[in-house]
Amino acid sequence: MTARWTYVIREAFVGLRRNLMMTVAVILSVTVSLTLLGASLLLSEQVDLATDDWTGRVEVSIYLCDDRVCPAITPEQQEQLREDLEDQEVVAEVFYESKQDAYERFTAMFADQESLIDAIDADILPASFRVRLENPNLFNVIADQFSTYPGVEEIVAQREVLNQFLRFTNVVRTAALVVAAIQLVAAGVLIANTIRVAAFARREQTGIMRLVGASNWYIRLPFVLEGVFAGLIGALVSWGLLWGTVPRVATSLARDIELMPFIGEAQVIAVGPWLLLAGTGIAAVSSILALRRFLDI
Amino acid sequence: MIKLQNVTKTYKRGADDQVIALDDVTVEVTKGEFVFVVGPSGSGKSTFMKLLTREQLPDGGEIWVAGKNLATLRSWKVPVLRREIGYVFQDFKLLENKTVYENVAFALEVIGRPRREIEKRVPEVLELVGLTEKSRAHPHELSGGQQQRVSVARAFVNNPRILLCDEPTGNLDPSTSVGVMKLLDRINRTGATVVMATHDQHIVDSMRRRVIELENGHVVRDQSRGVYGYGG
Repeated sequence: MTARWTYVIREAFVGLRRNLMMTVAVILSVTVSLTLLGASLLLSEQVDLATDDWTGRVEVSIYLCDDRVCPAITPEQQEQLREDLEDQEVVAEVFYESKQDAYERFTAMFADQESLIDAIDADILPASFRVRLENPNLFNVIADQFSTYPGVEEIVAQREVLNQFLRFTNVVRTAALVVAAIQLVAAGVLIANTIRVAAFARREQTGIMRLVGASNWYIRLPFVLEGVFAGLIGALVSWGLLWGTVPRVATSLARDIELMPFIGEAQVIAVGPWLLLAGTGIAAVSSILALRRFLDI
Repeated sequence: MIKLQNVTKTYKRGADDQVIALDDVTVEVTKGEFVFVVGPSGSGKSTFMKLLTREQLPDGGEIWVAGKNLATLRSWKVPVLRREIGYVFQDFKLLENKTVYENVAFALEVIGRPRREIEKRVPEVLELVGLTEKSRAHPHELSGGQQQRVSVARAFVNNPRILLCDEPTGNLDPSTSVGVMKLLDRINRTGATVVMATHDQHIVDSMRRRVIELENGHVVRDQSRGVYGYGG
């Protein structure tokens, strides 16, 4: 058994070395396609992560008047507003954010931009009721009912902001997936062609193998392994690329976009097995298809 | 050991144009026989050999080789059939990048024989063909006759029951051919059935073995202890 495997593996490496340029082309092409595939998978992860976190949060902000735009809300009006909000069926939870709370959140958000904090007066940010809804799509019910209340300056659907983000990421993810798919097909064709060239270059040897009674898998396996090995290397390189870039990008984005969780190394590690599976799988399938007619008994 | 019954094989050359390579051929070769298949080019010799290794299937009739009916033999069992057959080519078909030893060992390696067996069997066969001293040489360093003996060693290393030789002396000069024929005769005496396609009249005449003559796809003569041609 060991002698057999030594033969099969040795032959696979002989083929890879003889076909060095083609091997490099295959590896690069697999790398590009799997990097895109991995990126779109990670983007999906990011969206899931953000959505989970956001949907559990505030969906509507009701900003209160403070004499700047409209006459300041009175304590009675404010109490009435809170009671009516809590009575409203579609409302799940109501939080009050005071001017002080708002300022603290703001300074935390822009902690590394002192000039911005200096320019903002602690008093300038409005107080607000932050409302979580039973169903985020019922925003209009709240807007219709409460926008005319005295002391209400503005009602903002935070959900809208999220939806814009989701629409944007969806476009990016779909584009990445489409390009990844096209690249993957191209990589498959390239692998098939490379394996055909390799099989043709060794047709004398395989011809002798057939006539001395080597079994089919024994003749083909070195070629299939040759393709799978190149696919595996490509997958590993793409995994490495994602590992080297994605956590960094996420960290720098997290610095700019507060309130949103970002994926990190854990997700990049988790995507690896899928990349390896895709890389070796596509290589195996295209190698086998390439050999099917070529090396028939 | 080998039996062909009413075997017909045609090749299509165009839509309505076909060539009959073998037409209703019935031949039986028993175990241990040495048989020459003779005839001019295009008489069907090559087709005859290709049918025996199941490189091709006949259009009609039945073929048995080493107890197997080739028509019903599953394709995954074809390698098992070929392990019973050694094949010697006119142009040797040795691998240039391998030494003599490696070329012979290759035939055992690729059918998954254990290393121990390979290390024991290859030197034995190289001794049988008289090339022990050349085992580290590459094919291009050998004469044609030596290369053909390596090719015979490779065909025989697996101890096949049948040795098929397709014009094995076709590329050799007469004196070298004699050496190869002696080798084939020696292998035949170990009990292997030898079928040799040739149009080397001198060899056929000097060996005095069974001769099957093909002409235009027909067996026109089947003679034990025969010569190449009538009266020749």
